[in-house]
Amino acid sequence: MPTMKMKQKASRILRNNSLFIKMFLIMVVSIVAVSLLITFSSIRMSSDLFMDTFSISNTKALEQIETRFEDYSFAIVSATNEVQNNGTIKKVLTQENESAIETSKSYHDISRQIERIYPTVESYDTNMIVLGENERLYNMNYSNWPVSWEVLRNHPITKRSIEQPNRLLYQFMPSTSFNDKPMIVATKALMERSTGEIYGVLYFPIREEDWKRLYEGYTSTENEVLLVNQDGKIVSSNKDEMIGDLEPELLALAEEVEEEQLDLKEVNLFETNYLLMSQYLPTYDLYLVNLVNKNAVLANLINTKEILLISLGIVLVAVVIVFIISRRMTNSISRLVKQISSMAKHDFNRPVTETGGYEAKKIANAFNSMLSELKEYVDLVVQAQQKQRTAELLALQHQINPHFLYNTLASVKFMVQQGKKEKATEMIHALISLLQNALSNVDQTITVEQEIADLKNYVLINQARYGDGIKVNFFVSPDCLDCQVPKLILQPFIENAFFHAFNEKKEGFVQILVSQKRGSLICEIVDNGDGMEMKGDYTKEDIKEKRHLFSGIGIRNVHERIQMIYGGQYGVEISSEKGEGTKVKVELPVQKLNASVKSNEITNI
Amino acid sequence: MKKFYLMFALLISLAVLAACSSGDDEANGASGSEGSSGADSITAWAWDPAFNIAALEKAKEAYDGDVEVKIIENAQDDIIQKLNTGLSSGTTKGMPNIVLIEDYRAQSFLQAYPDAFYPLTDVINSDDFADYKIATTSFDGEQYGLPFDSGVAGLYVRTDYLEEAGYTPEDLTNITWDEYIEIGKAVKEATGKNMLTLDPNDLGQIRMMIQTNGSWYVDEDGSTPNLEGNESLAKAFETYKKMMDADIGKIVSDWSQFVGAFNSGDVASVPTGNWITPSIKQAEDQSGKWAVVPMPRLDMEGAVNASNLGGSSWYVLNVDGKEEAADFMLQTFGSNVDLYQTLVKDIGALGTYSAAAEGDAYAVEDEFFGGQQLLADLSTWTDEIPGVNYGLHTYAIEDILVTGMQDYLNGTELTKVLENVQAQAEAQLK
Repeated sequence: MPTMKMKQKASRILRNNSLFIKMFLIMVVSIVAVSLLITFSSIRMSSDLFMDTFSISNTKALEQIETRFEDYSFAIVSATNEVQNNGTIKKVLTQENESAIETSKSYHDISRQIERIYPTVESYDTNMIVLGENERLYNMNYSNWPVSWEVLRNHPITKRSIEQPNRLLYQFMPSTSFNDKPMIVATKALMERSTGEIYGVLYFPIREEDWKRLYEGYTSTENEVLLVNQDGKIVSSNKDEMIGDLEPELLALAEEVEEEQLDLKEVNLFETNYLLMSQYLPTYDLYLVNLVNKNAVLANLINTKEILLISLGIVLVAVVIVFIISRRMTNSISRLVKQISSMAKHDFNRPVTETGGYEAKKIANAFNSMLSELKEYVDLVVQAQQKQRTAELLALQHQINPHFLYNTLASVKFMVQQGKKEKATEMIHALISLLQNALSNVDQTITVEQEIADLKNYVLINQARYGDGIKVNFFVSPDCLDCQVPKLILQPFIENAFFHAFNEKKEGFVQILVSQKRGSLICEIVDNGDGMEMKGDYTKEDIKEKRHLFSGIGIRNVHERIQMIYGGQYGVEISSEKGEGTKVKVELPVQKLNASVKSNEITNI
Repeated sequence: MKKFYLMFALLISLAVLAACSSGDDEANGASGSEGSSGADSITAWAWDPAFNIAALEKAKEAYDGDVEVKIIENAQDDIIQKLNTGLSSGTTKGMPNIVLIEDYRAQSFLQAYPDAFYPLTDVINSDDFADYKIATTSFDGEQYGLPFDSGVAGLYVRTDYLEEAGYTPEDLTNITWDEYIEIGKAVKEATGKNMLTLDPNDLGQIRMMIQTNGSWYVDEDGSTPNLEGNESLAKAFETYKKMMDADIGKIVSDWSQFVGAFNSGDVASVPTGNWITPSIKQAEDQSGKWAVVPMPRLDMEGAVNASNLGGSSWYVLNVDGKEEAADFMLQTFGSNVDLYQTLVKDIGALGTYSAAAEGDAYAVEDEFFGGQQLLADLSTWTDEIPGVNYGLHTYAIEDILVTGMQDYLNGTELTKVLENVQAQAEAQLK
């Protein structure tokens, strides 16, 4: 049961607020949709714009890196040329089997020469090593690469440079070979041009960590620079952990970008989205690759979270405002609707309260004026109907049945003929006063006393005509005598008793009792005639209207008349039993003439 | 009413926007005060992870103070460069509290930036350390350096080669360089091996020779070149030429050849600083074939059989946290005998703290050197090293001398050569 109640309550609340809910939902959905669209389109636009400018600036950065690599290469080439063209170095490296003093001198001389050349590359933290036959080794910075003659002489990089004596080679040495740091070694075989004889090898080892300073300033965690050699090996990178890795895929992409002269290419490498830019460095035979982590860069640049937070904040604020405003608007309308829908309960005479917004006030106002007009019309209609009804009753009342007159007068004639002069006179008197009362205004009330007098006259006439087999007794409480009652209110019942109650029994009595009970005037017309079958307990439908013998007013009208005049709690009640008789009870309010207001009211109706 | 709502909405949106954009500024505050250490942490710079950095780590372990010690490794050249740039600009930002400086260079720093270093005169007792170190680590009457490793030199000899030529290590003990040359000739004749290696571009040999007689490239003042008329230097030059003439020297051009020569058994002796011990021991197959005898002396009156090559000392900079740094130094290298035992045992670093020589670790008999109590011997010799003021220009003068030596070897007269180098040095170092 409680759940049912709650459901009902919930559905009622829903119904009452349906306008608000609809309006609010539509507003919220539109606000959210608009904010989302604007947020995402602005994020997308700014990121596109940023990527454009970013790639332009990165291309510039790449060019600068290239320039720095060229500078470095130029320093190495200059030093190489100086060593190659240095007669002292050549002489010392080619000398053999000399005395200790001569050796000492040549060692000294070559050191001086190398020391003179060394500063060209020293500023790059690059070491310089000259290797000659006969265990000659001049290492300018021993701590940079503590290598012995034997090891260096048999090193693959030495072999490779002797194989290609005319080329300055940049060779990568991974970290495991001698030192714990990876190195890039520029090597060049020293060759006597006239004979083609190789008399030594020149080395410029630089630690990768020092070499990367050429480009490190342009990098960040999102913006990686890698140098890839022709084997796809990463020779240098700002990402230390990648140095020495083999990445043929990266090489292929770099070659593609370089061959097709692309500015940049969007690639997916190492499970990340990158913008790849590439530049081939011919002197090094390396690809300079720039990988920009698109997502990370964007994440740094555009604080998506912040933008979303701002949008969320705006949406929230808007929703709150929309809530408040639409709540106010719909509340007044809903209240109006609620009042209007319960209008019928209050007989259209309670105006709706004019509150809320301008529109609601206007509507309420219009509704109220319409209501009052409507009420006026209804009153008019009711009045008209009542007038019509009164007129009908009047008309009915005035229709004194001609047969009644005829019969009565015929009876008087017989009485005169029979010489019953006094009786005839009495009857004529009764008829005169009866007609006098009956034909006066039907609206007027009369006292119980008068009504009883009329009834007595009516009884007198009837008894004179039909004999006095039917006895009529009046029992009127004295305090009721001056009570006002509508004219001819009891006559139809007497008539009914005379003409219908005694069809089988030829004799009997009719008793008329008038008394006050609980503030009501009770008039009872009881007969002990034939009685009848009661189908229901209501009078109107049960009693078949017979023709009216005295006036147009029948017992059917009496009930309606009473109710019309006094209201629903008054009226006629009939009880009857076959063979036992009939009992009619007429209940009326106790009204005396001095209660002028009430009588006025009654007369108005 | 409508206007009110509009204002309200605007206010709220502004507040929301303002709240969103104020997140980033706060992180910057914390990183300002790292360079100059406060009282709760001090930094120390050194350059050799196998040697002086390792010694610092041991000192940190032995130290039980509240101060946190941060040890930072820098290349020696970088340390010199950073100190020079930092101190000359007068800023203490980014400077360490403790720095290790090679003895040959120490005076140039002390003289150039006397206020930059914190005097340890009242902190340590200079009598506790080898005498010869005090001259290089003090300036103007104040003790600035805390002497660290000993550069005490010894003559490492191959006993098997000597034996072949009919000598014993005792025959080489406390001899003069002239006697050494004679033995060298005999050894070369008997074994075909050279007696020693000589690097024409490194005159460490000359430095060791002249210090046996308490002489140096500069005068007592530390800056005036003392070359022309320096009898010890002249004698050393003569001796050097004798070696070359006798052809007992193997000419080498760098460290790898120097080490390679004795590791491969090409030379019969190595006259150098004690720090060579680990390199000599690298050739494990030569175990038991080596001995160490005192350095030969110049054949002059007053010369002793003890010399030095290299060595370095700790300095405390006059920056915030100097008291803490000095306290750290005192508690560790300045007084802790056990620390020195650990240093020789674990790192092979021979200190110059005299009291340390009495510890057990110094008495250990070294099987590689035929059971010799090498550390004890070296410590004894350390105390005998003549103290000299290395002055400001050791390496600058040596560059000039290297060329002078070549001239001399190739026939120029010695007095002329020394006259030339003196003139050059005076011109350059003025």
